[in-house]
Amino acid sequence: MIDISKHIPIILIAVPILMAAIMVFLKSSPKLQKSLNVFVTLCLLALSVVLLLRVWTDGIIVYEVGEWGKYGIVLVADLLSAGMVVLTLFVSFLSLVYSLDYIEERSLNSTYHSLFNLLMAGLTGSFLTGDIFNLFVFFEILLLSSCGLVIANEKGGVTKASDKMEATFKYLVLSMLGSIVMLIAISSLYATVGTVNMADIAVKVSAMSAAGTMPWHIYPIALLFIVVFGNKAAIFPLHYWLPDVHPTAPSPISAMLSGVLIKVGVYGMLRVFFLMFRDVLPMFQPIIILLALVTIIIGAISAIGQTDVKRMLAYSSVGQIGYVFLGVGMGSVYTITAALVYLVNHAFAKSMLFLTSGGIIHHAHTRNMQKMGGMIKSAPLMGAMFLIGAMSIAGFPPMGGFIAKFILFDAGIEEGFYIPIAIALIFAVLTLFYMFRAWMIMFWGEPRDFETYGEYSSHALSPLLTVPIIILAIGVIIFGVYAEPLIALAQATAVQIVDPQPYIDAVMTRVVR
Amino acid sequence: MTTLITKTITKICLPLVILFSISLLLAGHNNPGGGFIGGVMFASIIALMYVVFGLKFTESFFNPDWSKWFAFGLLISCITAFGALFVGHNFFRSAVEFVHLPFFGEIELVSAGLFDIGVYFVVIGSLLFMFKNVGDDR
Repeated sequence: MIDISKHIPIILIAVPILMAAIMVFLKSSPKLQKSLNVFVTLCLLALSVVLLLRVWTDGIIVYEVGEWGKYGIVLVADLLSAGMVVLTLFVSFLSLVYSLDYIEERSLNSTYHSLFNLLMAGLTGSFLTGDIFNLFVFFEILLLSSCGLVIANEKGGVTKASDKMEATFKYLVLSMLGSIVMLIAISSLYATVGTVNMADIAVKVSAMSAAGTMPWHIYPIALLFIVVFGNKAAIFPLHYWLPDVHPTAPSPISAMLSGVLIKVGVYGMLRVFFLMFRDVLPMFQPIIILLALVTIIIGAISAIGQTDVKRMLAYSSVGQIGYVFLGVGMGSVYTITAALVYLVNHAFAKSMLFLTSGGIIHHAHTRNMQKMGGMIKSAPLMGAMFLIGAMSIAGFPPMGGFIAKFILFDAGIEEGFYIPIAIALIFAVLTLFYMFRAWMIMFWGEPRDFETYGEYSSHALSPLLTVPIIILAIGVIIFGVYAEPLIALAQATAVQIVDPQPYIDAVMTRVVR
Repeated sequence: MTTLITKTITKICLPLVILFSISLLLAGHNNPGGGFIGGVMFASIIALMYVVFGLKFTESFFNPDWSKWFAFGLLISCITAFGALFVGHNFFRSAVEFVHLPFFGEIELVSAGLFDIGVYFVVIGSLLFMFKNVGDDR
């Protein structure tokens, strides 16, 4: 029969697309839909772990779609893409389990499962593809499916439909603009080097650079890619759509958007700049560092003033992605290791916080923190979980966030970036302030005025809601207490990113039939 | 839009355009044509029918669930692409077969054609699903 282990990269992309089709036919039997989707996602998660282990032991895996050799579309699984796929599918699986009870039945049965599968396909596809135009296609898939998911209704309905429409429209228009910019960048790159295979582009650009015939428009193309991935990852001048979109989405989808989707921008930046444009990279490093610092400042200051819990978390995401880009911009093996560790920790902590905020909204029937208070008595589990997440984001010792911040600052100081690290450190203190302020407003003090705002919900949260949060919380603590495996993996990944020769060799030495 | 002229023209065009869209679909792969433009052509004539005869009247005799068409096409395309795995090749590997028929001469049968048929249904389903939902008064 089929040797599945040979085809893992394409299975991770194609099976979600197949499931999206099957889910439309299963509309009439919601139970089967739910169980099948959860089961298949769990299988995909297991397969992605197998893929990561195989890449770890055997080196980079290249898969030729349609057996066209390097002239067709190749899928490349190196440590970065395989690791990101594991992270994506892990967060997706937990969000999916959470959404089974959180999303309103009508939204859930009609399109939710199909769109969720397409979103997963888009994410795994953009991580695994080795072809820059294919990356664009998968960006479109994940953009359109996430737009559909943002307008799904949650039970109870705290967000008005008009708000959702406004946020989705903003997201759609801005992402479409980003897509157009990306298309322009890719087509001008194609016109310059005559290929869309990333490894091939890398070879040709460095050959031009070595021969001294690099055309000037490689620089604007690289700048356009900063705009594209900056838009996806919401760094400074293009961050303003995020605090509208992430809070209005239902909580499991916010967890997906903040936990994984904005990391696609970081991934794209690492892939494009450290593989294809590594000869022009030194010119862009100061730009990335500057944008990262402004992002940190804007995110931290804006988060302080928020009264809406999910909006506060969304602004915090903006600030935190700045730290990741700071590590990326400094560009040595150690700083990229730190950026990757930071990325994984933020993905865990922020998806957990968004899922927890879903539980809090379920409990208090509002997103406004001023209308909460004293919930530590009525919802102790949510209080504990929010505290764990807040401690991780703020960088408190037993949690993963502490290790991430520590090695990021250590790496920065080792590389001699004293002023950027000083700025980042000052605004890390602000992170501490806004996370704990939110926690104290919501969980400490007197309970809210029940006559004005109504009682807290009395019925307990179902295990479908609490178990994913607890699993993520355990992950956050493990990354803090026993961080060595993660750091080792991140370091091996960073070595592969900084020296892309194995990647190029793996792709370019394919035999063409 | 419900004048006699448009109604008559639509009635005449309907079978012609559908046949032409199928011929475009089958001409694909090597000649101009293919699943996408065939599907767009099919969707456009159905959309014209919706506009000319009105959504309600058309639904009274012709009311398919377009999202099912979309899913059906996606299913065909996926299964075609997965088919290559079962014969020991990579995903999306296409098979070609030349067949001699007594009347038509030599015909090139490619498995990519099946994929194109899937694309045809995906395009029809998605375009008309959107068109119908946006045009609906609800």
